[in-house]
Amino acid sequence: MTDTLDHSALPEDDILAAEYALGVLAGGDRVAVEQRAARDRGFARLVSDWEERLAPWGAEISDVAPPPQVWERIAAVLPAQVHGGGLWQNLNFWRGLSFAAGALAAACLAALIYLGTLARQPLIATIEGDGHRHFIATIDASRGTVAVVPATFSPDATRVPELWLIPPDGKPRPVGLLRGDQTVILSLPTDLAVLAKKDAVLAVSLEPPGGSTTGLPTGPVIASGKLTSL
Amino acid sequence: MDLDANRNLIATALGRIPSGDRAALQTVYRLTSAKLFGVCLRILGERGEAEDVLQEVYVTVWRKAADFNASRASPMTWLISIARNRSIDRLRASRQSRNMDPIETATDVADSTAGADAAIETVEVQTRLHRCLGGLASHERAALRGAFFDGNTYEDLAVRMKVPLGTMKSWIRRALIKLKVCLEQ
Repeated sequence: MTDTLDHSALPEDDILAAEYALGVLAGGDRVAVEQRAARDRGFARLVSDWEERLAPWGAEISDVAPPPQVWERIAAVLPAQVHGGGLWQNLNFWRGLSFAAGALAAACLAALIYLGTLARQPLIATIEGDGHRHFIATIDASRGTVAVVPATFSPDATRVPELWLIPPDGKPRPVGLLRGDQTVILSLPTDLAVLAKKDAVLAVSLEPPGGSTTGLPTGPVIASGKLTSL
Repeated sequence: MDLDANRNLIATALGRIPSGDRAALQTVYRLTSAKLFGVCLRILGERGEAEDVLQEVYVTVWRKAADFNASRASPMTWLISIARNRSIDRLRASRQSRNMDPIETATDVADSTAGADAAIETVEVQTRLHRCLGGLASHERAALRGAFFDGNTYEDLAVRMKVPLGTMKSWIRRALIKLKVCLEQ
């Protein structure tokens, strides 16, 4: 074999980074490069530079929609997103409270608990439908979050509840998926947070697992409620 | 298609993940899962395995989002690299590459420039890569494509192209050097 390769043209590390980014390494060689990239920032940068060089090839690969259960499996292994601890996370506490004293009392208490950590006044909405109070939502504009406590919502076997913010223009904006068995804290990106004002509406629709993929509710809207200041 | 159409949305959502924001991961998933599933499926060739790996990919994204540096890297490049690497790991753990069909360089197709709707910057970057690939010998180009799209190792490519392993290594290393020199011009 005549190898006229000029090794001085590219340092050995750069070749190694390129081989890894391209994917031709196997076994111990591949593992060694991965370990090196994990502890050597300069080398990791060589790898990402090569990934960037080859990236335009990625555009040639066709999109294929994965089945909805993939997202469910991912969501199931993520740590539950809940604030603090104790009563806040305890669903039975909320259920008991909402049954005993009415959901409004729970909403007030939720808001009061929240007030302790708030710079600005929160907005709350009791999300009702069909004569039931399904969820109580508290918006913390200063942190850009909305906390949604399930009250009497009973989960549907095939569909998941999704929260929508509907400002006065009437166009629903997706906020995120809710759970019937625990409090969910969703973040409100700045563009949504500015729309979350008094008299905007929060609504819940039932969507396929993983949520609506169209950006608009695709299933029935089962409950809604106006945002009010406490 | 334009890989970077949602660049800002994806980068912003990635930035929110390290604080434990599940909705942000879901946003990333909604915007990118079809592309990443396409990548896993292309390398693994089998839906069940591609679904398993896609799950691993987003769990990796959840854990490693803090490593993503929006000022240096494109979010899609970062995500596609994770998808390719997790798929290649799965491939290596099983056996050999799925696609081991002989590669005939005589019929090797030239790289096509994709996506007329792509953003100007992306088109320029794509055009440059395709121009530089066009400057390689057809066997070099075919070897690089086999590695990128089929997850082939040096050994796999040597078999597919019926050349000794040492020859394959020098083809690819030479091609990589030429590519870098051309891209930096």
